[in-house]
Amino acid sequence: MNLWRYELRMMLRSRVAAAALVLLSLLALASLVAGVQRMDSQREAIARISALHAEDLAAVSAGHGDSTDAGRAAYYSFHPTWNPPSPLAFAAVGMRDVAPYILRVRALGLEAQIHDGDTFNPELALAGRFDFAFLLTFLLPLFVIALMHDIRSAETETGRERMLRSLPLRMGRLYARRATVRMAALWICAGLPFLVVALQQQVAASQILAVLGLAAGYLLFWAGLCLLVAWRGWNSGVNAATLASLWVVIALVGPALANVGIERAIPVEQGAGIARAQREAVNGAWDIPREDTMRRFYAAYPEWRDSPPLGTDFHYKWYLAFHQNGDDAVAPLVAGYRQGIEQRTAAASALGWLLPPVGMQVALTGMADTDMQAHRAYQDRVRDYHAQLRRYFYGFLFTDTPFHEPDYDKAPRFDADS
Amino acid sequence: MSALLSVTRNELRALVRQRTALAGIVLMVALTITATVVSLHHMAAAAEHRTRQQAEAQAAFDAQPDRHPHRVVHYGHFVYRLPSALAAFDPGVDPFTGSSMFLEGHRQNTANFGDVMQSSILTRFGQLTPAFVLQILAPLVLIFLGHGLLAQERERGTLRQLMLQGASRRAIVGGKLLALLIIAAAFLLPAALGLGWLAVGAPASALVALGVLAGYALYLAAWCLVITAVSALLPRRRDALLGMIGGWAVVALLVPRIAPDVAYTAFALPDRLQTEVGIARDLRAMGDSHDPADPYFAGFRQRVLDQYGVARIEDLPVNYKGLLAVEGERLTSTLFNRYAEHSAHIQHEQNALVSRFALLSPVIAIRQLSMAAAATDLRAHLRFMDQAEQHRYGLVQQLNQMQADAVSYADDTASDAGADQRKRVDRAQWQEIPTFHYTPQPPDGVLRSLLWPLLSLLGWALAGALLIGGSIRRLGGVR
Repeated sequence: MNLWRYELRMMLRSRVAAAALVLLSLLALASLVAGVQRMDSQREAIARISALHAEDLAAVSAGHGDSTDAGRAAYYSFHPTWNPPSPLAFAAVGMRDVAPYILRVRALGLEAQIHDGDTFNPELALAGRFDFAFLLTFLLPLFVIALMHDIRSAETETGRERMLRSLPLRMGRLYARRATVRMAALWICAGLPFLVVALQQQVAASQILAVLGLAAGYLLFWAGLCLLVAWRGWNSGVNAATLASLWVVIALVGPALANVGIERAIPVEQGAGIARAQREAVNGAWDIPREDTMRRFYAAYPEWRDSPPLGTDFHYKWYLAFHQNGDDAVAPLVAGYRQGIEQRTAAASALGWLLPPVGMQVALTGMADTDMQAHRAYQDRVRDYHAQLRRYFYGFLFTDTPFHEPDYDKAPRFDADS
Repeated sequence: MSALLSVTRNELRALVRQRTALAGIVLMVALTITATVVSLHHMAAAAEHRTRQQAEAQAAFDAQPDRHPHRVVHYGHFVYRLPSALAAFDPGVDPFTGSSMFLEGHRQNTANFGDVMQSSILTRFGQLTPAFVLQILAPLVLIFLGHGLLAQERERGTLRQLMLQGASRRAIVGGKLLALLIIAAAFLLPAALGLGWLAVGAPASALVALGVLAGYALYLAAWCLVITAVSALLPRRRDALLGMIGGWAVVALLVPRIAPDVAYTAFALPDRLQTEVGIARDLRAMGDSHDPADPYFAGFRQRVLDQYGVARIEDLPVNYKGLLAVEGERLTSTLFNRYAEHSAHIQHEQNALVSRFALLSPVIAIRQLSMAAAATDLRAHLRFMDQAEQHRYGLVQQLNQMQADAVSYADDTASDAGADQRKRVDRAQWQEIPTFHYTPQPPDGVLRSLLWPLLSLLGWALAGALLIGGSIRRLGGVR
């Protein structure tokens, strides 16, 4: 036990090491606070929804007046959906600073609505967030390198190694002990602030453990790399330069090159094509016989087929039917688009096994539900909700049931947890 | 002078002989070339794709059958943002902002389908572009190559030998600095050629390309100065290396990420929901065009009737519904513009705050210079949004006016079996509508926006020069 204490004392006596540990704790804390702030502001925005929606809905339903037309209500009323951040989202902001987390939809064509973004300053998004995931992925390895590159060369350069060799002790154990102490110190300096903030944010214990475990595994990878280099017996300067170059290749150049490769290998038909195709399908309905539209709609949704036939007047059921037909017409395009994005995401995840920094980001954003899959899952919830909205309004329109003001409040509400 | 040059020559020879250094130089140059080629290709493909999409959208618009003008208002139009001439050098916010926008009546849409929404997480690691390589990687490689310039001589005791041979301190430090500058120039060369290539394609941007090249030259020179100075000042080579890598991490990774977070907290940007509900609220306060008793629109109707000297809407020589649509769109657009200006103002304030962090990190300065020059910054994006909105407004109002002039009020309000056909206007009309052409900021405007970042980089270079001056004096301590 004494030997461990000596190692600890020796590490802390080095000014560089002590300063590095303090700096790491401070940066960890700052990154956590920044992440929490960001998520709090998103939660505030989500909390604002109900008041804003109530104001808007009140105005729309007041404008309804004596009308009994459900189509008018479907056309003018917007319904909010939102994607609340998970408790762990503060640690890995992921896509949440560019992907919309609030989206209002109405019962018209969904493909013209679901790809809309929110307002954000792209220059602020460009550099990426200073969150805990960034600290772990990019900065922590630099601290490992600073503390580990001279684990052996410091002894050889001061001439102590020869002396140590002459003593009856196992050199391997000495260095193993030293490496363990340094790694544990780094792990604690980064992990302890996280633990405190995560507990305060009520993150599930299993997730806290998983993040700490991931951090430990990631530390081990870099420590292993450092030991490999250290054992080549070069001097400290060469070790540091070699390790830093490896870091550049693994954390910066590798992912950037891989991104080029993935985008080349898996082309994604640009989504803008979907929006255009949907618009053609929707607007084309004005130029074809209305019965064609209804036939097509009833073929896909036979539950409404008993609805009375259209007269010569405008009827919203025809309007909503061709919006539905428009969405259905581009469904294969949407599936292809989605599949392309999923393939790219999957390729990046697979790459994570080769490039630990990528793996780290993938794992952390996956746990925090801030990755592309999480955004896709939100879009799926929006799709489900939108289908409910449609059914609700179709229920009035296709049976010619009068729609009155109180019916606005009976429209299905979005459930973020479903 | 000859002493200085011989120091430079020796230093370069030593670097080339040292295999790791040579490998570093070769790799770096290879990376810049790869980045330049990849980025040129990527942007050319994006430009080609968007041009084709724009042409298809235009063809679809022109090929519409006879339609009621208001149908066309809802059919709308798509516009695509083409990459700027220098976008391949620095794509800037291009991957983050949508590249296409749907223009329609009554609504202002967002630009959708940015790369970041249709790619993997890797996009967020930084993209392999000449800008990324030069801004982030080049300084680090220069640190690897340069940290030992003087520290090594001192550690080995060869510095004294050099001085004994009659080389002045100034010549030694200057010669080493020159060697590092030559290497930096080698890193810059492929990008400079790429820029030249782009500038040939767009001669108007030649001066801008020169400006951005000057910016990068200053940026790398500032790094070389600081690296050489630190190498002269710190007693041990390893301390110089670790210290500078730490400094690089702060300047290149940390500050550029902390600054946006500060700006984000300092200036809250209203989200889309707030904006849309706010616009609807203001619109209600103005008047409701569907409500016949609404005071604003009652007044509007009276003005129109007075103007034509008739008593009833039915007697107007134009279609009142069209006029109403024109007036309604005018009101909503005023609000759209007011809210968009407010949002743009906040975003500019956020960016101004970020640019103050250039005092802490030259990376901020070079990034803003680079994006401004490539016309891939926020300003250029907002300019596109603004022009798209102007185009939307012109398009919608032209169609509304068409409804007023070419569709009679009687037909427009009829609902008999043949009414639908009578409401439609001839398809030849669609070709009369002007197409969208984005006008980029003129080069002199771009050049003016390069001024501040250039001055800031010059400040960094001067600071580096001062540091070197100090280090030359300190070098005398070795005797």
